[in-house]
Amino acid sequence: MTQTPIRLTVNGRIHDVTAAPETPLLYVLRNDLQLNGPKYGCGLGECGTCTVLIDGTAARSCVIPVGGCAGRDVVTLEGLGTRDKPDVVQQAFIDEQAAQCGYCLNGMIMTTKALLAINPQPTEQEALEALRYNLCRCGTHVEILRAVMRASGRLAEAGN
Amino acid sequence: MASPLSNGAERPSGSLVVVRTVDEVTSETFVRITADGSVNAYNGHVDLGTGIRTALGQIVAEELDVSFARVVVVLGDTAIVPNQGATIASETIQITAVPLRKAAAQARHFLIARAAHRLELPAAELTIEDGLVRGHNRSVSYGELIGGETIRLELADDAQVKAVGNYTIVGQSMPRVDLPAKATGELTFVHDIRVPGMLHGRVVRPPYAGVDAGPFVGTSLIAVDESSVNDIPGIIAVVRIGDFVGVVAEREENAIRAAEQLKVSWKPTPTLPDLADVETALRANPSTPRTLIDKGDVDTAIAGATTHMQRTYVWPYQMHASIGPSCAVADCSDGNIRVWSGTQNPHVLRGDLALLIERPESEIDVIRLEAAGCYGRNCADDVAADALLLSRAVGRPVRVQLTREQEHAWEPKGTAQLIDVNGGLNADGGIAAYDLATRYPSNAAPTLALLLTGRISCEGAVLQMGDRTAIPPYDYDHMRVIAHDMAPIVRASWFRGVSALPNTFAHESYIDELATEAGVDPIEYRLRYLKDQRAVDLVNAVAERAGWTPRPIREEKDGDVVHGRGFAYALYVHSKFPGYGAAWSAWVADVAVNKTTGDVSVTRVVAGQDSGLMINPDGVRHQIHGNVIQSTSRALMEEVSFERGAVAAREWGAYPIIPFPDVPKIDVLLLPRPDQPPLGVGESASVPSAAAIANAIFDATGVRFREPPFTPERILRGLHGDAAATPQALPAPAAPPPSRIWQNPFAKRAGIFATIAAVCTAAVGVGAALWPGRAIAPIARPGTSVYSAATIARGELLAALGNCAECHTTIGGAINAGGRALETPFGTIFATNITPDVETGIGAWSYPAFERAMRDGLHRDGRQLYPAFPYTHFSKTSEADLQALYAYLMAQPAVRATAPANTLAFPFNLRPLLAGWNALFHQTREFKPDPAKSEQWNRGAYLVESLGHCSACHSPRNVLGAEQRDAYLAGGFAEGWEAPALTSLSHAPIPWSEDDLFAYLRTGQSRYHGVAAGPMAPIVRDLTALPDHDIRAMAIYLNSFNDAAADAPTQDALAAKLEAATQVTVAASSGARLYQGACAVCHEVGGLPLFGSRPSLALNSNLHSASPDNLVQVILHGIAEPVSSDLGYMPAFKNSMSAAQVEQLVTFLRGQFAPDKPAWTSVRETIARVRSSTH
Repeated sequence: MTQTPIRLTVNGRIHDVTAAPETPLLYVLRNDLQLNGPKYGCGLGECGTCTVLIDGTAARSCVIPVGGCAGRDVVTLEGLGTRDKPDVVQQAFIDEQAAQCGYCLNGMIMTTKALLAINPQPTEQEALEALRYNLCRCGTHVEILRAVMRASGRLAEAGN
Repeated sequence: MASPLSNGAERPSGSLVVVRTVDEVTSETFVRITADGSVNAYNGHVDLGTGIRTALGQIVAEELDVSFARVVVVLGDTAIVPNQGATIASETIQITAVPLRKAAAQARHFLIARAAHRLELPAAELTIEDGLVRGHNRSVSYGELIGGETIRLELADDAQVKAVGNYTIVGQSMPRVDLPAKATGELTFVHDIRVPGMLHGRVVRPPYAGVDAGPFVGTSLIAVDESSVNDIPGIIAVVRIGDFVGVVAEREENAIRAAEQLKVSWKPTPTLPDLADVETALRANPSTPRTLIDKGDVDTAIAGATTHMQRTYVWPYQMHASIGPSCAVADCSDGNIRVWSGTQNPHVLRGDLALLIERPESEIDVIRLEAAGCYGRNCADDVAADALLLSRAVGRPVRVQLTREQEHAWEPKGTAQLIDVNGGLNADGGIAAYDLATRYPSNAAPTLALLLTGRISCEGAVLQMGDRTAIPPYDYDHMRVIAHDMAPIVRASWFRGVSALPNTFAHESYIDELATEAGVDPIEYRLRYLKDQRAVDLVNAVAERAGWTPRPIREEKDGDVVHGRGFAYALYVHSKFPGYGAAWSAWVADVAVNKTTGDVSVTRVVAGQDSGLMINPDGVRHQIHGNVIQSTSRALMEEVSFERGAVAAREWGAYPIIPFPDVPKIDVLLLPRPDQPPLGVGESASVPSAAAIANAIFDATGVRFREPPFTPERILRGLHGDAAATPQALPAPAAPPPSRIWQNPFAKRAGIFATIAAVCTAAVGVGAALWPGRAIAPIARPGTSVYSAATIARGELLAALGNCAECHTTIGGAINAGGRALETPFGTIFATNITPDVETGIGAWSYPAFERAMRDGLHRDGRQLYPAFPYTHFSKTSEADLQALYAYLMAQPAVRATAPANTLAFPFNLRPLLAGWNALFHQTREFKPDPAKSEQWNRGAYLVESLGHCSACHSPRNVLGAEQRDAYLAGGFAEGWEAPALTSLSHAPIPWSEDDLFAYLRTGQSRYHGVAAGPMAPIVRDLTALPDHDIRAMAIYLNSFNDAAADAPTQDALAAKLEAATQVTVAASSGARLYQGACAVCHEVGGLPLFGSRPSLALNSNLHSASPDNLVQVILHGIAEPVSSDLGYMPAFKNSMSAAQVEQLVTFLRGQFAPDKPAWTSVRETIARVRSSTH
């Protein structure tokens, strides 16, 4: 079966992806582009582990068909920074030790990135609300909240 | 810590290992130091996300006197790490680290002795710094001491470890070694393993969701229809063994599709125990009593009590609820079988896999990689076995990812538990006796594939694990504790705080009840019976830190929100009875209870812990945070729901876990005990949770709750009895004024004379059927050059307006080639091929034949066409437009395709009768503008009434299937969807306006009404071909039937009011929780922007409609093809929610977002209908 490749930009590089357009973006990122940041969590957009940025907005890649991303700009966790040169949000999460198992971490960091893009200095309450639909089972919420506040330069206001 | 050196430089190849000899051929390595100075440490436990990799590295670095950075901790590979059993019971630091620590110490002693010899100095004069031994200005490194030798030391149990006072690494907070890679996507979780040639597998689980014992297990499969997935590309295999069913595909999305689409038939599952009432189910489950302690004379003491207190505490089924559904990769492609797994017990799993495929364990290597936190036994082992079966079947590596639904349904649950306590008070307020019986229906949950394939017995084993912390920590004179050992009812296995958390809920609730009865402060009362000094110290320290004041506090608690404070304490005693203690833990919990809504917030927790020596204090603190948050979630909101005995909760709406805003403030108190052995800290802080919260709720409300979770419904029932009023979001507003009914200004008037005429015509029609109809002679297909490009382009636009392709194209089929089934009340009509194929399409049709079909509903050969083809509208099209449309259709590629025959019931299968129908309902007349109206209105009327044929769906039809003339655009049904009223009869809370209509038709979305979905989405997509002024004209025309339009500021104000009034603040029903878990992320007003639109449910027309069809359609099927990707997508929930759950959700949504509308009465029927329909 021949398919027209779908062109999208991921982490600054143009990719022509040969996949059925209804394929969720998540599987294209993970399998075709071998990006491990976004994770499968629920396939329903409920938990947030698969979060990426599409045109700068947080997006749950498990429920967005790759066909809908044609011509769009996708950024994954790998697109922010590396272990040697982490992005400011990644660094804040490392500094605050804001992970236990780390499976939800991608979603936490990417959602924080999206939040800070529209609200660079959120209050603690705003940060909590922004992360309301990102689920964490290990109970790392305290450290994650501190990481968000650290990334926004408002750590002093974080409780706990 | 370091990574192993990998460059190929020449260096001495010697090494020093500390091993334990298991038998003549097997030994286990704990520490390996190589000549290049690198250090590997091996431990049989795995890091479940708790940070033990870091802590073990600290222990080894400390005992070896090397830098922390030099140590690589190797975990979980069965080929190289010692077999130290499953990573359970918080044992890693307390138990399994002990030989590792000794091995490191032994290696250091050996090396320092060798250095003393080499440097000719007494050992006492040497110092070590990062593996460099110094003395008298000379030095030698560990690597140099090893050189080219292979040194093998047998682990000595008496190896002298360091004194705590000399520690420099252990006891210091150390950042987790794994986090930088995790935060940058560089860590390879088991989900991220890719092996060359790897395929993707998915499994299909049996219908007895989450039940793993009984004769039907492994024996319920009837058949698998492999042909049902023939249309999916890249399917490699469909595998079935017993009740195990799996598919393997080249690409993951195709494996997913195949697993969903595969037709599998199962025998009906026998009636399973009803778990709606856990207490009854547990009492009915056969059990064997086992006395754990029988001290004093309990029966006599109870008989002599002045106050008798018999209490029952019920713990619900709960989920481990790993955020990542389990995943594994297996590779059987060559002789060596390798399985990459997120298991918590690699060696146990290896044994299971060997049993499953009847191979020796030695042929299998289980490589454990990090996975989502499991907190006990999840599906990690199951999926590894699934992957192995599929890899064996196809001879290639296969990755299997369980779905969220499978993980929820099949993970071994943290079991329900039932604890009865009998006892009471003596006259002096002292405790007369304590008689506890606990029931724990759980075992080790055998790896599922073993059961599904029939490799092991499907009889549920009884495991003695209900005894953890079953003996209370208090020194009661007369005490009896009995564990009723029993087999599971549903699949269940250990979950954080294994049986100790429920048992402690009973102990710590009961002593609070006793204290209340005795009129004594509950902490003071506990201290009377607490003899363990470390426990007493902890309780006092936590009370002081929290600023505890003696309870009860007499204060006015009349407001809606009342506050309370509770205490609980536990020493988590785990492992085989009598077991041993992990860290001591105590909680002071503060709660706020809303007596009107039933909402309980845990506002603050002071959690104190005595963990002995803390290897990594920050790690301990994080574990306490994690335990406090997770166990608060368990106490407040977590309970598995069942339907007919099988697990019903398959996504996060049905099994919510605590969201960020509900997390309490946590104050951790770490008792410094560096002189005491280190204790497990992975679970202890969970154990007092539920009791502390229940005690706080009692303190706030005066009502005792003995069954978590403390949901709003349960609290309201406790506070107000069964008559508890459900909180009402809004008072019902006054009924809206009656709306006008509009007549179609262009419709045929069917009076009495017309009816008579129709009957006559029908008779003539029947007669005419005896003769062939007037056929229009076929022509040679017109050449493409006959019409100008401009005409063809115009025709394309008109085809878009008419939305021809929507009906005349099958899903995924060639455009306009026909074959699409159109369900009508009279039967199924298959759309015809309108491509210019001469034989099967309209290639031989002349323009007059085409025009006659469009205007009169006649086929070229003279047959009547069914009015599912909306010629009643198309007849109004202008001559020029019809010419252009003809030109366009004739210029398209010809596709040879014959539509299936219609399946209409008698008499509707008699085409000639349509002559009568036409006489009644059809007039062949071009559109005539209304001179009284504006040019734009008339343009809009033309577009809407002719090719646009809006009222074909948006007007109701009569019993003969004709549009009701006097209910113009008053709403109808099409393709299983409601086409809502477009006039002032609209149920939308904010009336349509011209601008809204324009926005909706132009973009597929109106802020005040929602997004186009179902059959409307392709229509709006087609309309993108039309210029703005035509869309505007349609909006003007349609809006003329709407006499209630408001201006923008009024709309905005109304929208804001409706949205504010319907905001969901408390989830007080299953439906509300489904909304919060599944819908709110994209629909709650004011949420963080997500890709796509955020349709407001308060304003959505579908929620305010008289029928739930569209809401049910969109919940079950989602929106996979929106008007444009800018609007975003909605997932389908049909495979994730049961019919009952969808009903709860729909009922909630209606009540919440359309509070002034009556509840829908046909929700269940609608769900059944929509689920079974093909739309």
